[in-house]
Amino acid sequence: MTRPREGLARTGQEGRGARPDEALAERLADTMFALSTPSRVLILGCLLGGPRSVGDITEMLGMEQSAVSHQLRVLREHSLVRAERAGRRRLYAIFDDHVSVLLYAGLRHVDPAWSGPAGAVGPVGEEGLGGAP
Amino acid sequence: MTPSPERGHSAGSRTITPAWFAPSADRRSLLDRAHRGDIMGALGRVPSGDTGPRRTLRRRITTLLAIAGPGVVVLVADNDAGGISTYAQAGQDYGLRFLWLLLILAGALFVNQEMVGRLGAVTGAGHARLIYERFGRRWGAFALGDLLMVNFLVIVTEFTGIALGLGYFGVSRYLSVPLAALTLIALPVTGSFSRWERAMYVLVAASLAAIPLVVIAGQHRALRAVPAAQFHPPAESTVLVVIALIGTTVAPWQLFFQQSNVVDKRITARWLPYERADTIIGTLLFAVGAVAVLAACALAFSGTVLHGAFLDAGTVADDLRRRAGEWAGAFFAVALINGSVLGAGAVTLSTSYAIGDVAGTRHSLHRPWRAARTFHGSYAAFVALGAAIVLIPGVPLGIVTTGAQVIAGVLLPSALVFLLLLCNDADVLGPRVNPRWLNVIAGSVVAIFLVLSGLLVCGTLFPGLKIGWLVTILPLIGAAVTGGAFGLRLSPARPAGARGVSVAVTSAWTMPSIETLPPPRSSWARTSGLVALRVYLLLATVVVIVKVIRLIVGL
Repeated sequence: MTRPREGLARTGQEGRGARPDEALAERLADTMFALSTPSRVLILGCLLGGPRSVGDITEMLGMEQSAVSHQLRVLREHSLVRAERAGRRRLYAIFDDHVSVLLYAGLRHVDPAWSGPAGAVGPVGEEGLGGAP
Repeated sequence: MTPSPERGHSAGSRTITPAWFAPSADRRSLLDRAHRGDIMGALGRVPSGDTGPRRTLRRRITTLLAIAGPGVVVLVADNDAGGISTYAQAGQDYGLRFLWLLLILAGALFVNQEMVGRLGAVTGAGHARLIYERFGRRWGAFALGDLLMVNFLVIVTEFTGIALGLGYFGVSRYLSVPLAALTLIALPVTGSFSRWERAMYVLVAASLAAIPLVVIAGQHRALRAVPAAQFHPPAESTVLVVIALIGTTVAPWQLFFQQSNVVDKRITARWLPYERADTIIGTLLFAVGAVAVLAACALAFSGTVLHGAFLDAGTVADDLRRRAGEWAGAFFAVALINGSVLGAGAVTLSTSYAIGDVAGTRHSLHRPWRAARTFHGSYAAFVALGAAIVLIPGVPLGIVTTGAQVIAGVLLPSALVFLLLLCNDADVLGPRVNPRWLNVIAGSVVAIFLVLSGLLVCGTLFPGLKIGWLVTILPLIGAAVTGGAFGLRLSPARPAGARGVSVAVTSAWTMPSIETLPPPRSSWARTSGLVALRVYLLLATVVVIVKVIRLIVGL
């Protein structure tokens, strides 16, 4: 299991200028790879509004259920999504704040006018980007 | 090697599209980032951007050396423990009578492996995943489950081969089997594709031990000058040997292995001609190895009391030593050990690739142990389990071999039907779908394997069953004709103007992201293929159940 927190914490505490080493770069590249397919970005986009089940996502995106499950497995493998149990249902949620920040930043980068789904727990603008003094 | 962008721009006013930005390098259905990047072969490297044309012969050869590998490894690994002992049996018991069959088999193997190599390069997805996506979850789970089961049994036979081969040199199996297992586990752990492939090449080179073997056997034969044998084995067991020869040669793991290995080696559609050449070289090496073992056993034993006295691969080595000298036995044992180690490695990898493929976990030989734990972990677990079972005293290894043949017989035709349908799926292969003539050949091959596998299942389960030549030949001819006709109708109707597509577009065509594909179009061929498959599986299950009931009642 990769621990996504470690890298950011290190650059935050041990000096801002510290360059990521090769292993860290590899891990980030793996994470970015998981974001490199439109359908996975769409699934993450659904989860920005809160935890959802596979059925919800299937309905929202009009994708095949097997495809959604498969992509969720890939996202979990890369620690972008976590599964949690709510009673009988199995819900998928964004792994942590870093992931939503990453997604917001990326979407804003390609479309500055994009404002996110209504009611989303968006960390953009607050301490979310990690650079606030 | 990489044409630098600077050089491209310095050409003055002419606009030159830099070759390093060729679209063919981008396969969109990859599951693992490690499946993208430079090709790191055992004998060379092709940077991912270096997709320009190869104009000189020298460049073509270096490119081929870098790309070749998946086809060579999978086809040489086909001469594994099961293969070598079946060739030895055919040679020892029937002389040179079945040599022609090996050559036909080599052709059929090439047709199958070329198709999976193409699927891998064009789609960037593994075989298991394509079946899941295009035939649904049930067929996918069925194909995967069957693959896991048969692979597990095959691994056990490979370790039996290792134990027998090293046993010939006096090494205890309690030493040889764990040692081989540790070596196999250690090979991919460091996460270097080229190192793994180099190790495989060493085994491929050592598999050529079959050539001196046949030379020695031939010399002894010439010295002895005995008249040809008069011994004729009964006809029905002859048929079974033919079927066993085919059953052990064409195995499902080869399809899954080569496709995943092509993806893992980062071979894209741009390199298809080279991948095809790789498969041709592999087929030739397969044919040389198989023919040499069969011919050596035929030459050494025909006209002697040992003719028709096949027991197992270990006794063949001993008999060869008695008939043709110390060296003949040693070369046979080396060929057996090599084939078994190579086979065990490739079979286990095909399992781990398929698991990663379906589970969406990282699965690449480019990744070290830490970065792909499921992949390396499942690989190590399967190798260790296979080795452990061989070491348990009193495990009936004969039943394992029989079971492997039966389950392979059930799985193989289904794998081939899926393969043929996938290769005609215009959404998956685009301009690279099978041409009509290939469909006719492949259709006949698949239909023949369907009948033969059915016979193999029946013959293995009911040894007393009289399967004569007539019972074999008639359905075979029928199957070949039906399969050919089926193949003729299988070709998808090409969209208008598809024939005019330029070579450049064809060579750059890559399957779009797999989940964006439209659901498979239902067609007459697809439906009838899947119906035939269901009927076959139903019959095979009934036969197996009858056998089990008989066993229970018989006890």
